[in-house]
Amino acid sequence: MNRKLFEHGLSIAFVTAVLLCVLFAVRSGTQTRTKAEAASSQTYGNLGFVDFDNAFHKALLKDAVNIFYPDQYEKNNAAVEKILANKENEFSRKLQESGVEERLSFGKLLQLLVMLLKFVLVYAVVMILTYYGVQTIAVFRFTRKKLRSRETTRSFAGVLARVAKTIGKTAVYFVLFSPAYVIAYSIRTEFNTDTIVFMALLGVISNGLLVTYANKFYAFLVAESRKGYVETALVKNLSDSYSPRGPGGIGYRAILRPAKRFDGHVFGHIFSNARYQYLSTIKEQASFLVSGLIIIEMALNIHGHLSYEMLRQMLYKNYDIVIAIILGIFYVVKGTEVVVDMMGNRAEKRMENK
Amino acid sequence: MNAHRYSVCIRAGERTIVTTDNYDVVPNEITFLFGESGIGKSMISKAVYGLLDPDDLDVTVNGRPYPEYCALASTHEIRDNSFFVFQEPSSHLNSLMKISDQLSEGSLRLCKDDSEILGRLWQNADRNALRRVLNVFPKPYRPSGGEKQRVLLAMAFKKMDVLASTKDDGAESFFVFDEPTGSLDNNYRNLFLELLFEKYTRRPFTAMIITHDYSVISELYARYRGFLPRIHLMELRRAGARAVEVIDFSAQEYLNWLGEKPPQVSGTVAGAAVLDFGARFSVFGRNLCLFKDAAHTQPANLVIRKGEMAYVKAPSGVGKTTLAKVIMGLYHAHDLAMNLCGMPITGRTGKKVWETRIWGKKATMVFQHADESLNLAATVRETFLGLPLARRLTPQTLVSALGELFEDSVTDAFLSKKVAMLSGGQKQRLNLLRSIVLGTDLLILDEPLNGLDFLSVKKVLSILDDRRGRGAALLMISHNEEIFDHFVGREHVYYLTECS
Amino acid sequence: MKQLLKRKDSRWLGIWLAGILLVGIWDVLFLNRPALLQVTAGFFNTFCVALLVVVFTLLLAWGFALALHFLDAGRNRTPYMLLTFALNLIRSIPQIVGILFGYVGVSALVEAGFIRSPVLIFSLLALSISLFVFIEFVDLLRERIAHFQKLDFYNAMRVCGISEGRVINFDILWKNSRIHILNKLISVFGAAIFLQCSVDFIISVGLSTDVNSVTLPATMGSLLAKIDSKQDILAIGYTLTHPAYAGNLFFEHLMGLTVAFLVVFTLMSVYHIANGYAERHRL
Repeated sequence: MNRKLFEHGLSIAFVTAVLLCVLFAVRSGTQTRTKAEAASSQTYGNLGFVDFDNAFHKALLKDAVNIFYPDQYEKNNAAVEKILANKENEFSRKLQESGVEERLSFGKLLQLLVMLLKFVLVYAVVMILTYYGVQTIAVFRFTRKKLRSRETTRSFAGVLARVAKTIGKTAVYFVLFSPAYVIAYSIRTEFNTDTIVFMALLGVISNGLLVTYANKFYAFLVAESRKGYVETALVKNLSDSYSPRGPGGIGYRAILRPAKRFDGHVFGHIFSNARYQYLSTIKEQASFLVSGLIIIEMALNIHGHLSYEMLRQMLYKNYDIVIAIILGIFYVVKGTEVVVDMMGNRAEKRMENK
Repeated sequence: MNAHRYSVCIRAGERTIVTTDNYDVVPNEITFLFGESGIGKSMISKAVYGLLDPDDLDVTVNGRPYPEYCALASTHEIRDNSFFVFQEPSSHLNSLMKISDQLSEGSLRLCKDDSEILGRLWQNADRNALRRVLNVFPKPYRPSGGEKQRVLLAMAFKKMDVLASTKDDGAESFFVFDEPTGSLDNNYRNLFLELLFEKYTRRPFTAMIITHDYSVISELYARYRGFLPRIHLMELRRAGARAVEVIDFSAQEYLNWLGEKPPQVSGTVAGAAVLDFGARFSVFGRNLCLFKDAAHTQPANLVIRKGEMAYVKAPSGVGKTTLAKVIMGLYHAHDLAMNLCGMPITGRTGKKVWETRIWGKKATMVFQHADESLNLAATVRETFLGLPLARRLTPQTLVSALGELFEDSVTDAFLSKKVAMLSGGQKQRLNLLRSIVLGTDLLILDEPLNGLDFLSVKKVLSILDDRRGRGAALLMISHNEEIFDHFVGREHVYYLTECS
Repeated sequence: MKQLLKRKDSRWLGIWLAGILLVGIWDVLFLNRPALLQVTAGFFNTFCVALLVVVFTLLLAWGFALALHFLDAGRNRTPYMLLTFALNLIRSIPQIVGILFGYVGVSALVEAGFIRSPVLIFSLLALSISLFVFIEFVDLLRERIAHFQKLDFYNAMRVCGISEGRVINFDILWKNSRIHILNKLISVFGAAIFLQCSVDFIISVGLSTDVNSVTLPATMGSLLAKIDSKQDILAIGYTLTHPAYAGNLFFEHLMGLTVAFLVVFTLMSVYHIANGYAERHRL
């Protein structure tokens, strides 16, 4: 574990150092560029008699230059284009300076920190909800499948019920696979979609997160159910009934319980092993979720949220703030990796009797 | 013989995996079932026990669909009163549960005291030693394969005690032992048989023992003659594309063959030493030594000359396979002094030497698990591609090489068949042929008779003897002592043991 | 045919193609021509970029997996550690952020006139997505190699003199892992569509409403961000509270609805295809 922690620490230190270097380079680069642009605009821009917003004036300027310097059309055109481009840049710069240009001050850092905490809060809530949801859906699906495979007869009513279920399932799948912005925009007129609660809910149900990882957990359950130790559990006469009612079965309550246990049932062996396997995918799930939350915040333009702020600052070319935000998100991802590795290490230690 | 006859058909989708009409189970008697591996012994036994998963396979037993068969009272009775010891002990223990908890779970809890069984299986090891085995979460490397095997056997014996304590004398049982001695040496194998017959004497039960260990026959005839009327020796063999049938196995034929087989038959051309391996070496922090005698008093280099066949013996888990891997440069050993095909080799010799000069050119090795060693996704033909052969393998030479062990079954369809579709015995033969065809000076064989039926055992031994006769040096590693003691001359037998 | 339909993956491939065909026919009948052209171009572009992502991901992953394996086997510790560290760094950057920067970079190059060819633009967009997707694929290939190395498989072949390159490329990756690889590629295709649409949507909505339409080819994401499409999608929510309006969705809000449907339906179908394929081959 110490080696892993060291690796994490090293990569955190390295990325922090690299991003800080980039941050300072960006800051000094911006200052130099601004000065250079100001100087060049002075060289070309002192033509007070020309209205650069007027198309006629622009055409007149080109003709005048061509008269003064005949036989070099291309060069003249390029020179005029350069003057126009500089004028445009000067305008953008002034626009930025008029309110959108920001620097990474201490106050700004504090503001970003609050946003980061908000981001981490939503992230943690979604992570917990998906952890529960993924396992519950997968266990439910697995037990239903086992029950179905043990049915010996199929009635007409049963077939009808299956058709209805398929239609319902497809509708649910449509929602679960929708990118967050599709869901959010489709209900924006009816609900307030700018709340943290809605964001967390969207984080759980959209972008295919829940369904993808529920399926992974289900695949682990299926794979584990085929392993040898399950056969041993069977020959030790542990219960293998998957009926939701009756003794020895797996009731809905057991499936819905947050801390799931299936003592005395073969499924108890399958579940605990699948959950152990699932630990290794949590890092991947966390990074999927971070991407999902960034998409939600950016696409929904939710003001005061970290990712939207990043997008805004990208637009205004305040790259030092963008880098600070990226660094914050990187710490969230790394933090998750450290926690997951520690959880894995704890489980491993327990099994090594340490 | 008042047997329950089962007809079983197992299919996966459109493909028939195995089908039989005469799987006989004799109530309250013990059946030993032989046959090449992968032919369907385990699967049919699992089907009868009610263990197969109807999600994965379409199964019918005695014409009934599987869910219906499993729901029968008689099937429930079998499952309630019996136990199935599976052949891969490692994968049949839950790695997230301590072994002690696994030993007292479910119906095993009804057997309150397992100290006698555990004491016997661990040969009265002290409490601490036993606790070290029981108080751990099983891992691939711990406890050893043999210990895991004994844990599963202990479970079965506990279940026998539970059965003996029930008042219902007519209760049906079906104890299945699938390769119960695969990871055990002869000492523990005999211990298993001893306990089995003791429990049987206390309360008879129905048992099916699936094995490839033909030497068990000699043991039965030597020590359990009194039980022979209640013992059946059977063999499962092919009776069509996917059909198999159970026939009687002739113990006498095996015993006669053992008597007849002279060690190192014809054409010995013993010459220069192909391998000279130092008597002591260290690997993974363990010191291992080679001796010429079973009492471990005469340390000796392992020397094999051209046209010689040597046999290394050791209890399971000591390091026979490790020794072979050290010789082949797959494991790095300290204090190593070896001369291989005229090349001096020490612990510092680089891997490059093995890659460029030894593997496939001077020496090669046949690994014990054909299933793992072969590319199951490749075809039989593709198995021979990429080998560094002196002469290119033409279709004709490939057919004639395969013909040595597969005879007239080598058709175009066979060459294009996926290795995964072959039976276990066929895979093992292919595994052997891939190395034999290289014609290297040294050929190391780790458990070469694994998974073979009696006929194939005889054929493989004859081919190996032929190679030896043509000047190859062979090193055998096997727990099948009875056969190799007869096959290899006593002067070429070495004993491997751990030393201080 | 019956056999094909029994397989979940083939069945869903059929459902996906049929669904797209049906939507296409409906749009030809009821969607105005300029919008139809835009939707067709958007679908085609998205599809092409996603396919390119699949190709680049495969090439990058195979190359890096081999490089890591041979560096590790040859005990070249320093280059091995450096490469692993670089990959872990990429892994730590959220995919969407990395791709967003890639897109901004490509957009800047297009604006500056450095690249004009649509093929090159598509390739660069696909490459920027692949760079943040391929690492999972490297993990898969390395896991497969490690799995076979743990078994006797690898050593048994090596001691027979079969070259390491052949064992890794032919026996392990081609013969024994191509089903895993194909399954992963199907998932990569789905992920590429999702990421591409999301980044295009974000750029179109957030960075600038016209940068994307001017500099980058139209995709489903950028089409979705158009004000017409957004209004069409808003109409779905309106229908939830005014069910009588449902009929109008299929005639008056066809553009946004078509784009949203194609995105979600494709993601769902790809998931089912990958899933069915994995189940069929017991992955």
